[in-house]
Amino acid sequence: MTSAIISIDKELCTGCGQCREICPVDAISGTPDTPHEIDEAVCILCGQCVQICSGYDSPHDTFTTSRAERLERRGMLQTVQEPLFAAHYRGDIHRVIEALQKPDTFTIVQCAPAIRVAIGEEFGMSYGTLTPGKLSSALHALGFDRVYDTNFAADVTIMEEGSELIKRIKENGTLPMFTSCCPGWVKYMEDQHSDMLEHLSSCKSPQQMAGTLFKTYGAKIDKLDPSKIFSLAVMPCTCKKFEAERPEMNASGYQDVDLVITTRELAQLIKHFGIDFPALGDEDFDNPLGCYSGAGNIFGTTGGVMEAALRSACEILTGTPLPHLELEYVRGNEGVRKATINHEGVELNVAIVAGLQYVDGVLEQIRNGEADFHFIEVMCCPMGCVSGGGQPKVLLPVQRLEAHTGRKAGLYSHDESLAIRKSHENPQIKKLYKDFLGEPLGHEAHHLLHTDHSQNRRAL
Amino acid sequence: MNTPYHLNRFVIADPGKCIGCRVCEIACSAAHSGETTPPTAGNVKNPVQSRLYLVRTAQGSVPVQCRHCEDAPCAAACPVFAITQRDGVIYVDEDLCIGCKTCVLACPFGAMKLVPVFENGQPVEQNLPLYSETEQAGEGNGDSDEYKQLYVASKCDLCLGLEEPACVANCPKHALQVISPENHLANRMHEAAVSLASVVRRYTS
Repeated sequence: MTSAIISIDKELCTGCGQCREICPVDAISGTPDTPHEIDEAVCILCGQCVQICSGYDSPHDTFTTSRAERLERRGMLQTVQEPLFAAHYRGDIHRVIEALQKPDTFTIVQCAPAIRVAIGEEFGMSYGTLTPGKLSSALHALGFDRVYDTNFAADVTIMEEGSELIKRIKENGTLPMFTSCCPGWVKYMEDQHSDMLEHLSSCKSPQQMAGTLFKTYGAKIDKLDPSKIFSLAVMPCTCKKFEAERPEMNASGYQDVDLVITTRELAQLIKHFGIDFPALGDEDFDNPLGCYSGAGNIFGTTGGVMEAALRSACEILTGTPLPHLELEYVRGNEGVRKATINHEGVELNVAIVAGLQYVDGVLEQIRNGEADFHFIEVMCCPMGCVSGGGQPKVLLPVQRLEAHTGRKAGLYSHDESLAIRKSHENPQIKKLYKDFLGEPLGHEAHHLLHTDHSQNRRAL
Repeated sequence: MNTPYHLNRFVIADPGKCIGCRVCEIACSAAHSGETTPPTAGNVKNPVQSRLYLVRTAQGSVPVQCRHCEDAPCAAACPVFAITQRDGVIYVDEDLCIGCKTCVLACPFGAMKLVPVFENGQPVEQNLPLYSETEQAGEGNGDSDEYKQLYVASKCDLCLGLEEPACVANCPKHALQVISPENHLANRMHEAAVSLASVVRRYTS
């Protein structure tokens, strides 16, 4: 089994160059018609090459590697029927099955927002079908002891990141502040722009905040020994596998997130155990760490973190809620979007970057002192996490936009249907701070939920 | 659509544009899978079976597929009349095919292929049981339970019923196009007329 998270299978690569073209950091090289290679030192593990690759294991071709061997090598289940492509990621399903079968292990799972608008596609549902209830049912049926949610931690992220932004503005701290939820973006900053790391929010990503809280607050609630917890994250993202394995991600005293699988891997797991996903009923996520607001849910699409942050930050800064929660001016698909928010005398300049290939221009403006932004959201993938490298692979290029748009619409409609749509109004978030964390940016929050990017960079 | 000539259309690729990515093959397979589900990789149960074949040569990569010949030798050769002229397409009725492979021999382009049949990810078996020594020796229960997989003739049908063949619609480099012979001729003649007119005008003025 290969240990690299993203690799190209030389036997299947046709050398068509589509991966080379789509790679936002030019990490892939190769000449036409010959197998391409990934430069691991440059790759940010976004998995867009996995999504675009169309060199497959045709039954009409002769390969030296059998399909069974290929599945084994990739860490995939032998029951997987789908075609195998040249660009692929490391599969980790076997470790999930092991953990679920260990009697003395307490298994906790979290799912990113983008999973609930995409996993249905792998079971024949149309692009973007919203299935949070079936998703929770499937995870319970697989035997997870707690089905918690990344969305809860997204609400925590807003509390921390929003407070950090307000603090930076009030105390003349480093601005603009960049979001730090996207691990590919963080890795890119560390690899290519380490002089600007102080612009990154010190917040860990929702995945990592969730992982830390499960093994501390969650363990306390269930009176568990955290060493017995196996914490799984289901992500639309291939780089999240890397993030979970970062050496500093152990604030709970253990590796905070033990394993990450993708949306596709979860679908394969559900099929492997013969669970009829479309026929499942709706179950809730488990409380308290599965309770979420609509703001936490829109993290899964470009502009979502910004919108969620503004819903809370503007209200906390001025004491007056925003008149409308749907902030159309931060929504959209352009590579770079800019907006100015005027609310009760507070003026905030923000920008949203969707697709890492667009970020260098913004960084250059900041370096040259030409940018007056307060807050900038950056996501590596074209429409944010809904189009991540671990999401269901859309086979036909002409349908990719339709799929991503459908998933995005699913996230927004879910937000609109929820009773609580601001992170700071989530009752379980209030309880978390009251019972466990204290204040946002406080001592405990700082220890568990923040990280020092410059120090991490030195450690790498 | 039909001009007085009713010539069959066919798909060709521009080798200068084709990058050999095989999206055409995947699109072809998805279009003929009979599935209405969104074509995500996870929904593909049967092996990818394309009706066009990407061929790599020193002159470049090009997919090869049926030319929908007017006097189709495959149809003329088929002993069970499984191949017919239908709505501008030379069409194989796979249910009638007996797998004799005469059409494969007859096709001058290598566009006809016998392919294994799958349903729901499982191979479909032939009716004829496999020879078994045990059965021949009269030692079995009279029922051999081993069968070879069913194979049928398969080739491009221009995605009959779709607005545009899936390979053409999905090529990321727009390297494929449907050639309509009459339009092609008319365009060529128009180009020739324009170029001739300017030359003649210069010559006579």
